[in-house]
Amino acid sequence: MFSLRTMTPTSRVRAGTITEIVGELSSGRTSLMTACLRDVTAAGGMAALVDADGAFDPGSAARAGVVLAHLLWVRCGGRREAALAATDLLARCPGWALVALDAGETPPRVSLGAAFRLRQAARRAGVALLLVGRRRVAGAGATLAVRTRRDALAWAGSRHAPTRLAGMSTRVQVLRNQGASPSAVFGAPSGAMEEQQWWTA
Amino acid sequence: MTRVACVWVDAFVAAAAERAEPALREHPLAVVTGAAPATRVVEANAPARERGIRPGIPDAAAVARCPQLIRRPVSPACAEAARRALLDACYGVSPRLEDVAPGLVHVDAAGLGRLVGGDAAIAERLGRAARAVGLPARVGVAGTRAAARIAARAGLGVIVAGGEAQALAPVPVATLDWPADIAHALGRWGVATLGELASLPRAGLAARLGAAGLAAHDLARGMDDPAPWTSWTPPPFWEEAQELDWEIDALGPLVAVLERVLERLTARLSAAHLLADTLELRLALTGGGHHARTLALASPMDAPRPLLTLLEHDLGARPPQGAVTAVALQASPVPRRAVPGRLGRSAPPAERDLATVLARLVTLVGVEGVGAVALADSHRPDAFLPARLVLDVAPETPRPAGDAVLALRRLRPPRRVRVTTDGERRPALVYGALAAEARVVGCAGPWRVSGEWWDAAAWARDEWDVALSDGAVCRLARDLRAGEWYLDGVYD
Repeated sequence: MFSLRTMTPTSRVRAGTITEIVGELSSGRTSLMTACLRDVTAAGGMAALVDADGAFDPGSAARAGVVLAHLLWVRCGGRREAALAATDLLARCPGWALVALDAGETPPRVSLGAAFRLRQAARRAGVALLLVGRRRVAGAGATLAVRTRRDALAWAGSRHAPTRLAGMSTRVQVLRNQGASPSAVFGAPSGAMEEQQWWTA
Repeated sequence: MTRVACVWVDAFVAAAAERAEPALREHPLAVVTGAAPATRVVEANAPARERGIRPGIPDAAAVARCPQLIRRPVSPACAEAARRALLDACYGVSPRLEDVAPGLVHVDAAGLGRLVGGDAAIAERLGRAARAVGLPARVGVAGTRAAARIAARAGLGVIVAGGEAQALAPVPVATLDWPADIAHALGRWGVATLGELASLPRAGLAARLGAAGLAAHDLARGMDDPAPWTSWTPPPFWEEAQELDWEIDALGPLVAVLERVLERLTARLSAAHLLADTLELRLALTGGGHHARTLALASPMDAPRPLLTLLEHDLGARPPQGAVTAVALQASPVPRRAVPGRLGRSAPPAERDLATVLARLVTLVGVEGVGAVALADSHRPDAFLPARLVLDVAPETPRPAGDAVLALRRLRPPRRVRVTTDGERRPALVYGALAAEARVVGCAGPWRVSGEWWDAAAWARDEWDVALSDGAVCRLARDLRAGEWYLDGVYD
């Protein structure tokens, strides 16, 4: 079945490729990206996060298990082109296990040629490139693309007056997986294109 | 068994000037002081001394003896930097040093045998370390500080334990610097070597020359004075400076000067097995002003080229407001640690590549936008501090895959919103969040948090987790002191 474990750089998010995570706000796309950062940094690897809007929350990331000392955080203050240029710079530097671009709600326009150049740079440097945003930007340049959708919310406390958000269930749908069948992605022969994921608040 | 090494740099002031300008080593050089016509030679290098240039002679006489003589004014900054460089170099070999005088360092060599080797190996290591920071030094090793000092000056090298008196006996008296009355008396008595001085009756010396005579007798026998060993402690910051003979008002020539200063500073750091963690640049400007910049390096390093790139980018973005007359670079060091390599995992970014990328990122998004962070010791929301990017931390145990945490996307600063509440004082409508108006379809709270009530920065708020009709799941906060509502972040 599709799970977070399959999203780790050693399996699905592979070095030298571009992976895209898209989804609407509150769909779980940032949580999925944080899980990837957790898997990389907790294993001793170095990761970089290019944060177009400066929305990254170190507190929830640390609770998720991200080793903050292994994470380079680049805040671009809403400048999309600067975020894209920073991602390009980092993707050309060998040694990063994962470079993630959180493009937010308005991802920058990327031509197909630019996307392939980005993939070529990541391939040469051996860097896993993760693009996260509301919509896809890399097109055919991405090796793997998934979409997240919110499924349900759960509240903690009494039924009539809950005190805290308990968690969120999301569905992860594979949009593109270059060179693999759906069963290879999900690890099951059912051919189901979606998998459910629970996030604890 | 006590073993002491002495590291001595001949004509130290001239050596410091040569260190700042290595091209001068091949030419006769004199360091001078005083305004014309009273300018006098303070120190001369070996080629100049071969041509008869001696300390104390007038500048005009020195030029008359050697027309090719290159003269440089005394630079206290250069001399101090060279003194520190010699100490740093020795510190890389032994942690117990005594800073005796400029260009003269005592090194406690006891116990170094198992690390470095015999006395000859220690002497060779110290000489190599001094040369690495641009100072040609002579090293002597003996059982006492006095004997080691004489061995260094006379070029004796290593004196075996217990053989100090015999080894020092043939050394000419003129090798050492004596007080004027002692030197005069020794000349009158015809004492030519330390052995002859040591053979004089001690009581007679005391009667004729007093305490100074006894000290000279002890020195000739290689015996230490009773002064205790004063250990040198490395300061928290390492500085390298250079005063300029001319004013610089363009980036290109300034970078060339910075390159030389950086090379000297990084050589010192490398000799002591340290890396620069932060770099502070201070430029003295015409008119008495200063230009100061502090570069917090994302990764500690001692490679001059990436550091120069960082400085160049920073000066390009924030140029000094005037011509530069002096340059000083200060580094706060951290110990060098080996990055453990692991099978099946790629090495972290190389220092050189990382520094170049970071310099470009800083140019792109500003110095405040790049770096690692650490959580602050506070319950205040969104409390974090800048931290150093660590390349060599042992990996933690990966958490189970099912333990996934919902991430929050912060709004910085939190967006002020208008909220209308229902009869139970729970949020019902939110204006100005992500949409102009959104109805609350799910709500949890309030979750009351507060802190720092003992301080002027006290804070208190009620947090609400709300699901809005536009699809967003947000965290709202009501500031209990101001009564305002804020959109803190969006769960995603």
